[in-house]
Amino acid sequence: MGTNMRRNSWIAGTVAVLLSLGLVLTALAQNPAERAALPGDTKLKVFAQAMTLAEENYAEPKTAKDLVYGAIQGAVSTLDAHSAFMNPDEFKELQIETKGQFSGIGIEITLKDQMLIVVSPIEGTPAYRAGIQAGDQIVKINGQTTKGMPLTEAVKMIRGPKGSKVTLTLNREGFAAPKDFAIVREIIPIRSVKGRLVEGGIGYIRVTNFQDQTDSDLSAMLKKMRQRVPFKGLVLDLRNDPGGLLDQAVRVADEFLSSGIVVYTEGRTPQQNMRFYARPGQEGESPPFPMVVLINEGSASASEIVAGALKDQKRALIVGTKSFGKGSVQTIIPLDDGSALRLTTALYFTPSGVTIQDKGIVPDVVVEEKPPPAEKSLQSLRDEALERHMRREGLTDKPWNQPITAPELERDLPLKRAVELLRHWPPPKSLAQNPPA
Amino acid sequence: MHVKTGKLSRLHWGAGLAAAVLVLALAVYGPPALKAAAPQDYEALRLYTEALFEISQKYVTPKSEEDMIYGSLRGMMNSLDPDCSFLTPREYQDYLEGKKGPGGEAGVDLIYKDNLLTVASALDGGPAWRAGLRPGDHILKINGQLARNLTTQEGARRFRGAPGTTIKLQVIRNGLVKPLDLSVTLEEPLKAGSVAFQVLPDSCGYVRIKYFTGETPGELTAALKALLSYRPALKGLVLDLRNNARGTLEQAVRSATVLVGEKEIVAVKGRGPESSQTYMGKARGIAVKSPLPPLVVLTDQGTARAAEIMAGALRDQDQAVLLGAKTLGLCGLTKAMPLVDGSALVMTVATCYTPNGAKIQGKGLEPEVAGKPLVAKPGGEKAGPPAPDQDPWVLQAVDLLKSGKARHVAIKGPKQEAP
Repeated sequence: MGTNMRRNSWIAGTVAVLLSLGLVLTALAQNPAERAALPGDTKLKVFAQAMTLAEENYAEPKTAKDLVYGAIQGAVSTLDAHSAFMNPDEFKELQIETKGQFSGIGIEITLKDQMLIVVSPIEGTPAYRAGIQAGDQIVKINGQTTKGMPLTEAVKMIRGPKGSKVTLTLNREGFAAPKDFAIVREIIPIRSVKGRLVEGGIGYIRVTNFQDQTDSDLSAMLKKMRQRVPFKGLVLDLRNDPGGLLDQAVRVADEFLSSGIVVYTEGRTPQQNMRFYARPGQEGESPPFPMVVLINEGSASASEIVAGALKDQKRALIVGTKSFGKGSVQTIIPLDDGSALRLTTALYFTPSGVTIQDKGIVPDVVVEEKPPPAEKSLQSLRDEALERHMRREGLTDKPWNQPITAPELERDLPLKRAVELLRHWPPPKSLAQNPPA
Repeated sequence: MHVKTGKLSRLHWGAGLAAAVLVLALAVYGPPALKAAAPQDYEALRLYTEALFEISQKYVTPKSEEDMIYGSLRGMMNSLDPDCSFLTPREYQDYLEGKKGPGGEAGVDLIYKDNLLTVASALDGGPAWRAGLRPGDHILKINGQLARNLTTQEGARRFRGAPGTTIKLQVIRNGLVKPLDLSVTLEEPLKAGSVAFQVLPDSCGYVRIKYFTGETPGELTAALKALLSYRPALKGLVLDLRNNARGTLEQAVRSATVLVGEKEIVAVKGRGPESSQTYMGKARGIAVKSPLPPLVVLTDQGTARAAEIMAGALRDQDQAVLLGAKTLGLCGLTKAMPLVDGSALVMTVATCYTPNGAKIQGKGLEPEVAGKPLVAKPGGEKAGPPAPDQDPWVLQAVDLLKSGKARHVAIKGPKQEAP
């Protein structure tokens, strides 16, 4: 389940390299002496004294662990903005997001006007089969009223082990009284890849974030499209994709490249210095169809790695606006009690040796999106997006094989431009300093 | 209150008591000696050193140990409540010596809450108000620098300097899509009084307390005497405590006495009996012996500390009706506690309860009558808040007083939960 907006904010700014578990534990095992000697004697004494003072004197009782969580939070906030401390709940949620699947019933929910409502059931999931609809109001979960229940709590209650049952009491326009829906939980995949066809043999694929399934989903979607139509080109939409797993960024770029370097990283320790190369033999390589990548200021980290590699290797034309500019790699380091640190451990560089930090990827063709009206609040913009989604009016809310129409292209100027470029390939030399092969 | 004395804790014991408490603190906590810790302390410390170890080994650039530990102590204090802060040895030294910073100020009270520097209140018509800052605004950047990893005390320091200094701010407001760019020019503190009053149409009196100082009780007494001698006699009083987060416990108690007389005003409770105390008003403090006309007190999210004490006392003792929005819920007594390396913690050791036992800290006071939704005007009023006779909530309060139902509402008003 999860919620659209929360998922985005969760992954925001993360290029999580979840390769750390084994690595970190060995590091700990190897260096007991170093570890003990590390925090200088007096400074750690100051900390211990502060902890005791707070435990004994703060107006309300606080546990040592509460205090230490606050302290670790404080230590991490002296680092860069992408480093963070996660309590055990937050860490668990991150693992679900990056694994690309969880056990639940397959609905996205949100709070609207203090009511818990279904944003949409995910196709093919138990919720979908049970007939749950977008806009349904969740009155009770397992008999417990949802009045005043925080979103995270509701999410927790609806999720549960595969095979177990959850009962939702739903209210819907047209119901005389709320009805109970008993639903058996299953493993639900989180889709990070969505697509549509465009008239004239052009594929449109949108990647919302980079998680465990992204590359295989992308590859499958591409294959489906190429089997359906004589394939003339691809628009890969990385707009507002905040990133995700580094290895998935490498695989997605590799999908379209047969050789050469994709990205390399440099950190303080040799383990953090890594070079990633493309291998031949993926779906998006042969024949090398024309390709446009869409980016905007919401495209960060993993998105920038993909855009940077495809740009430097002259595989794709980049269209849109300058990307976010996050050129650092974070490693997730689990701590003893189930909490975790997300630490910036390395910087990454595109194949041509350019850092993206603060600079971003500059598009070959700049196309601005329509700006939102300045006086609108974030909440009203979100509400509108939600309503559109519930009416299934978003670009990727329709089936992949239903072609994108001309009116839909008119509403999305960068996409319209990308399609025009692909229809008149190759692009004029004046547009691209590095015309793709 | 830092305007008057330069001390750091905003709301603390009366001057005499402060010294006593400080001495007590030194006797208990210094000379630097550590008590044996409980097992769960060691476990928590182990987790802490594990985290520090990982940061020192893996973070992309090396960090100094002092940065890490002081950052940790800031984080620990921030996780408690916005009045808790950490002072470096130098800051603590300044605090002990009562050193005043440079004379200019922005006329704004800030708190560091949920990792955001937030405007608690902005002085009516003061530099921050005129620049466009309002209670509830989050300050994202100060002179281009992100306002991260601060404490309430540090946040306040960033807004002091020589008069004439201009500070550029980036501010996030209530879900606006784009941050606002504002600039505030620091000024000498206002010399004007803390209390203003006038008679509104419909024979209602209006008293505004902008902030609390040592002069407030006297100014309030004068205002009330003037209003209550008005003929024909007033039908009711509106006391405006909105956007007021500045003042001490002692100032609050002395000001509330003016209206409440010899009754309980506030109780403070901490961990042990020694940190609990009840504050009573004094009979001779009262302004007028005759019964008060019905009283409506205006509150909002900028009502904090001394103003919350006063609002709670008037509600519980004078059957005043609170009208407006929920108060901030920041009402504790802080104490500075030195650490072995010369740095110090500023920690909330007791929190305030209204005479009926409602806890203020962390909860705020919920008005019996909700203020009508306000229509936000783009740009807002640059010069100051609207005139009382054009202020929607003041007019709403007058309507309530005219209807004769104010006391009725007060008696029927929702019970606050007891601690």
